[in-house]
This record gives sequence, structure tokens and C-alpha cells, in this order.
Amino acid sequence: MAHGHHITPFRTLLQTFIALIALTVVTVAASQIHLGPLNVPIAIGIAVVKASIVAAFFMALKYDNRVNFLVLAIGLVMVVVFISFTLFDTAFRGDIENVDHRTIDQIERTEEALKAREGQGPGGG
Amino acid sequence: MGSSTVTAVHGEAHPAHLQHHFVSSDQQFDAAKMGMWLFLVTEILLFAGMFVAYTVYRVWHPEVFVAGATLLDPLLGGFNTVVLLASSFTVALSIHYIQQGNRTGLLINIFLTMAAAVTFLVVKYFEYTHKFHLGIFPGEHYAYSEVSMPYVAQFFSIYFVMTGIHGVHVLIGVGLFIWLAVRAIKGHFTAEWYTPVELVGLYWHIVDIIWIFLFPLLYLI
Amino acid sequence: MSAATNSDVGADAPAVHYLNHDKSIRSWLLTIDHKRIGIMYLVSVSIAFLVAGVLAMLVRYELLSPGQDVMTAETYNKFFSMHGIMMVFLFIIPSVPAVMGNFALPMHLGAKDVAFPRLNLASYYIFLLGGVLVVIALFVGKVDTGWTFYTPYSERTSDAVLFMTMAVFVAGFSSILTGLNFIVTTHKMRAPGLTWNRLPLFVWGIYATSIVQVLATPVIGITMLLLFLERLLGIGIFDPALGGDPVLFQHFFWFYSHPAVYIMILPAFGIISELIAVFSRHPIHGYRFVALSSVAIAFLGFLVWGHHMFVSGQSAVSSIVFSLITYLIGIPTGVKMFNWVATMYRGSISFQTPMLHALSFLFLFAIGGFTGIALGVLALDVHLHDTYFVVAHFHYVMMGGTVIAALGGLHYWWPKITGKMYNERLGQIAAVLIFVGFNVTFFSQLVMGSQGMPRRYYDYLPRFETMHEISTYGSWVLGAGLFLVMFYLLASLVRGRQAPANPWRAATLEWTHATSPPDEHNFHHTPIVTRGPYDFRAVELGGGDGHAAHAVPGTAAPTEA
Repeated sequence: MAHGHHITPFRTLLQTFIALIALTVVTVAASQIHLGPLNVPIAIGIAVVKASIVAAFFMALKYDNRVNFLVLAIGLVMVVVFISFTLFDTAFRGDIENVDHRTIDQIERTEEALKAREGQGPGGG
Repeated sequence: MGSSTVTAVHGEAHPAHLQHHFVSSDQQFDAAKMGMWLFLVTEILLFAGMFVAYTVYRVWHPEVFVAGATLLDPLLGGFNTVVLLASSFTVALSIHYIQQGNRTGLLINIFLTMAAAVTFLVVKYFEYTHKFHLGIFPGEHYAYSEVSMPYVAQFFSIYFVMTGIHGVHVLIGVGLFIWLAVRAIKGHFTAEWYTPVELVGLYWHIVDIIWIFLFPLLYLI
Repeated sequence: MSAATNSDVGADAPAVHYLNHDKSIRSWLLTIDHKRIGIMYLVSVSIAFLVAGVLAMLVRYELLSPGQDVMTAETYNKFFSMHGIMMVFLFIIPSVPAVMGNFALPMHLGAKDVAFPRLNLASYYIFLLGGVLVVIALFVGKVDTGWTFYTPYSERTSDAVLFMTMAVFVAGFSSILTGLNFIVTTHKMRAPGLTWNRLPLFVWGIYATSIVQVLATPVIGITMLLLFLERLLGIGIFDPALGGDPVLFQHFFWFYSHPAVYIMILPAFGIISELIAVFSRHPIHGYRFVALSSVAIAFLGFLVWGHHMFVSGQSAVSSIVFSLITYLIGIPTGVKMFNWVATMYRGSISFQTPMLHALSFLFLFAIGGFTGIALGVLALDVHLHDTYFVVAHFHYVMMGGTVIAALGGLHYWWPKITGKMYNERLGQIAAVLIFVGFNVTFFSQLVMGSQGMPRRYYDYLPRFETMHEISTYGSWVLGAGLFLVMFYLLASLVRGRQAPANPWRAATLEWTHATSPPDEHNFHHTPIVTRGPYDFRAVELGGGDGHAAHAVPGTAAPTEA
């Protein structure tokens, strides 16, 4: 990095743009087909690929000082930590009895209150 | 070591943009860029909070998210995706041109990016007003009777907060592009020094990347 | 910098230095000099500490006997909340990084300034804005949520919470920008020859802290924003009445606030490493382990937030995972403790005030750390949760750890910051008073907590009365010690002896290459570093008094450009 900065060629930038548009079309198309539980991972997978392309070419991480990539990578690790460790709780909530923070009364009242609110509309429930 | 000793800074030619505490332009540029990347990571973690809320509620109530997505228009969302991708392309081009000293190319692409950002916001405005018209508000004010399953209000809370914060970032982007345009017209940027263009470009790409995730998560699946 | 000033480099009392080169108010308020910004932080943070400390004394006074002594229950709730919020967000978090980090980090690196000086000034004013919002919240109504703002109570109580969440949001920005600045500074602004293995451990501490600040603080931002929206629009993410999940708020809050505990303690570790090495006149034992354990703690600190929520109703799986990882924190922390003790072994220890605080730290932090491990034990925590045991634990870590280390650091750098020596005898007396007062105040709380005294209560059973009395008396001793520090430090500004450039004969660059107080641009020459930060032999061999001609061997200024 001693002299001058990397200039990404016009051609590369254009190819990047075209690839991104193509992937957008793919993700919309894929969502129209019913693949059951696969729809969500496919959509997220395509989004990850698109984001990586933007980061690598538009943001020039591919040609950049590696420390910037490290910064991004550590940030992303933290996002994964945040989501996964929260899921340790929320996805397993109530895995032993009698640990819900609410009393049974409170749970029932909340459910009823929500039902009552939703019930105001014709399509209620 | 005598009185004639000079520090490295003063030993070199001293370009006007070089601040006194840096030794070289490269050091200054690298520092600015690394600072920007760190800032971008804070932006990512800001949105991470919302992504956590999204994941938690989606795991709890997947059917609500499927139902909620049907109320959003994938055509408008898709259009906005293309608009933002195009703006990412033009902002990358603006850097490409100023690196070669092409100020006209820089300016044209800044304006194109700005136009795309404004287009995005206009589309978003129509999406929001349409929702409000139907009575789709976040949280407890949700009053759309066609779809009224429990927790659909949470879906729209998440939708409005995520796209709202994203929209604020787009709005800030517009402001930044106006600032860049003014400075570009004044001829502040050269092939040797274009740090603000580079940094705003990075910011804009992150705004684009966030939308790349928001679009499928909210509109499609 | 003009070449003409070179002749008087290193004179013990430089005629022109960063404090007096421009005396106008404007030159202070708009300064981009990291040293002056550090001083402005020092003043602001000290005011916050004073106010929050007085609140704590009043809270303690109220608890002297059961029933009402001096204030109503409402006032009591408000006071302990204000004490916590101000101490955490306006004092401890900015204290060491923003005051001593600002002052010492660039000098440790041999740099003229931080990487982004204007951003540095902006962070200060953003911090100030956060402080103003806190004051507004004080006058608008009562904030009685504690510093944790747990939902749903924080959504129901007074609207002052809106201002307080805004204040935390804003103060968070300041913290992020400071951290960002320090990371880039450490990466890009090091003097020639200053490799990562030659960085003073204070720099490693601040560096690890800054990583945590950058990664964790945005999450408190979004949390406060959501709480704000929850109150204004009822978005129902956290409010159980609307179908939200209050425990999710706790996840959000602790994803920041647990790492924030490491924002508070890691810089303290950095200071202690400096003090122990300098006052034992012995290179730090296991340099790399001490340095990297800071980074390890920073990362492990992100994986343990759920140990604050063992009784919140989170899943058993998550409680077990969080409990297990919590034990792991003990490893890098233990590495540090052992290395500090090993550094003193066969060292030549001098018991000056900074070292007294450092030794006090070792003792208090050991108690704080061990009680922390105890609280991390899932089964035990169910018993001890929300008792005075927890209160005493985190005061041992934050006050006994961070504040004591900050006091040590303040005494250590005081001659460099102000150019004046404080009264050593009073300093030693104060250090002992603080140590004794602290232990009397909080050890009694450990005992009470294990007997079941719940925290945050206005009133208590008669059987706790003796312990509460002891604790309150201890707080008076502690307060006396702290006021004594304030007194003699302020007095030193007026009557203090002129400080030599290197009164401790330390080996880091701010002592060996700069005058006391330093020049506006820190160094007269950019130092070239050829040795480690604890090479005291080099200092003893000659120089090290800030004079270019007497520079420490191996750290000579460039002979000719």
C-alpha cells in the first residue's frame, strides 16, 4: 500500500453490478417456489453472497489492507454470537418446568387480552 | 541530534491536506479508512439488535412472518433493491473516476447516486403511507382487520423499525452526497486526495448491504 | 514546532508547555490536543463522581437504621438509580479510557496526537450532551428503574426515563467514537520501532477496551432506541402486555452491559500493569500473556451476558452455557493476577501512593473476582441473586478494581499532567483510608447478602441492622479518604513542588522523552524505539529525564533527518 491506491477497473465494477442484479432476480424467483423449510436458508444464503460481492468489489476489500477485513470479520462474528446465544434462550424457553417468568394467571390474561384485541376485526383469530 | 534535528513530518514535502500529526498521506488515508470500517461495524451491530428481534420472533411465530410478508409489495421492494444496487454501482464509479483525476465523472456519478437515494425514499414514502392508510401501524396501534392474527403487530413493529432506521441512514446518505457534490464542484477532490468520497462510498455500500438482507427477510419469505 | 525550542528540551520546568502556550478559554474549549481533552474529561468525570458519590453516601445514611431516616422511599429509589446511572455511564466508562487513555495513549505510542483529534473533541462534547440530558432527566421527574432500565417497569414509570434513555444513547456515541479513535491510533500512529511487542501494557488494556466499546456499545444504542419507541409508540417488542418479551430486553441490555463491565475493568488492568512494573523496578512477568489475556477477556466478555439472567426465566440450556463460559473468564484474569504477583517477586518495591493503590487493587480485585466466580455458579446464584452479595461483588470489582486503579493512575500521571508533585504523605494516608473504608463498607455487605438481604430495598429486617450500621460507618471513612485526595490534589496545583520529567524513573516514552508537563506536541522529536516499555536498566544507565541529550540509551532521537 506504499504507493497509490488500487483502481478497480470499470469492467469489474460493471460485472459486479450485473451479478448483483442477477442474484436479486434469483432470490425473488426462489421465493415464489414453495420449498418448505428451505426457502429461508436459500434467501439468506443468496443475501450473504450478494453482500460478500458488494464488500469484496464495490468496497474493494479484496484489494485492501487486511486489517479492514479483520475488523469486518470480528464485527460479523459478534452478530452471530448475539443471535445464536440469544436463541439458546428463546428457542428453548421453558425447557424445565416452573421457570417461566410469568405466573400461569398472567400468561392466560395476556393471551386473552391479545385475542380480545385481535377479535375486534372480522377475520379475528 | 543537535538543534537542527527535524521530525519526519517536516523532512518531507507537505501536501495541503496532510494534518500535522500524520507522517504521510498514506498513513492519513489508511487511518481514515480503518476508522470508517470500525464505524461501519458499529452500524452493523446497531442493526444486529433488530436482526436478533427478527430471529427471535420468527422462531416463535413463523406463520406470522409469512402472513406479514404477503402484506408487503415485493415489486416495490424489488424495485428499491435494484435502485440501491445501481446507486452502489455509481458510487463505486465515482471513486473509480476520481482516482483517475476525472472530476466530471466523479460529479456525474455523485448526482446519479443522489438521485437513486431520493428515488428510494420516495418509493418508501408511498409504501409507508399506503400502510398507514390501511391502518397498519407498529405495535399497539396496529388496526388492519384483514390480517389480525396474534403477534402480527410485532412483525410490523420490526418492519417499521428496521426499514425506518435504514431509511434514516439513506436520508443521511442524501445529505452526505449533497456535501460531496458541493466539495466536488469546488474542486476539492483530486486523484491524490479524495478521502471523503471513499468514506461516504463505504458508508453507502453498508446501507446497501443492510437492504440486501432486509428485502428478502421482510418482503419475500 | 520550530527548531529553536530544541535547546531547552528536558529542562525540568519548561517555560512553555501544553497548559500555558495559549491560555484563552477558547483555546481550551476548541482544543484538539488530546492532553487538554483528557483534562476536560477529568474535570467533567470528577464532577459526576462527586455527585454520584454524595448520592451514595446519602443512600448509605438512609440505611443506617430500619425505617425512614432522612428521605422517603421514593427519593431513595431515585437516588440509588441516579447513583448507578451516573457512576456507570458518566463516570466509570469514560473515566480511565477518556481521561488517562486520552492523556497517556498517544504519548505511550510516541505520537503527536490521536488519529482523529477533531473527532476526539466531538466525543467530549457528545459526552457532555449526555451529561446534560441526565441532569434534565433529574429535574423532569423520577428515574427509579435502577441503572438496568428493566422492562416492563421502565415503560410504566415516569417520563424522565425517556430523557435518561436518550442520555445513555448519546453517551454511548461518545464511547464508540473514543474507542474507534484509540484503535486506529494504536494501529496507525505508533512511533518507528514501536512494535506490538513493545507496547506498554496500558496500551494493550486500552486497545482491548476500545474493541469492546466499538462492538458492544451500538447494541445499547438500539436497545435504548427500542425502549424509547416502546414508550412512545408501544411497539410491543419488550412489553408483555402487548405480547412482547421482557426477557429479550434483558438480553439486549446485557449484551452491552456485560462487556461494559470489561470496558470498566480492562483499562484498570492496564494501569495496574504499569504501576506494578514501575514501582517494583522489574520488567513485567509474562508480558505477552498479560497483553493477550486482555484481548482474551475482551472476547470472552461477549459470551457470558446471560449470567445476569439466571433467574429471569431464560431457558435452562442458556443458563448452563452462560454459567460454563463464565468460569472461563477466570483463566485470563488469573493469568494476569499471577503475573503481577510474579513481577513483584525479587523486585525492588517502593510503597509510594500509586503502588499502594496497586496493591490495594490486587487485594480487592481478588475478592471481587472470586465472588464473581461464585455468582457465576448457576445453583449458588439462584440463592444470591439480587442480594447485597451481588452489590458487594460488583463494588469490589468496579470501585475496588477500577476506581482504585484509576486513583493509582491519576497519582502516577499527576506530575506529568500538571507538572506538580502532590503531597506524598497525605497520599499514603488517603490510600490506606480508602482501602480500610472500602472493606468495612462492602465486606459487611457480602455477609449481609449471603444472609439474604435483598438489594435496592429501602427498609430491612432488624437483624440486618448491625451490618448496615457497619457498612454506613465504613462509607464515611471511604468518603473521608476520597475527599482527602480531592483536597491535596487541588492543593498541589497551587503549592505543589515542580515535578521532574521522570519522578518515578519509569521507562515509557511519556516519562523518558517528554518534559513535565509536556510540550504542546508531546515530543520534541519523534522517538525511535529500540527497547521494551519496562527496560528500567536503560533508564538507570542514564537519561530518562525527558532531556534529548540524556535520552535513554536505545531510544535516541533521530540523529539527523
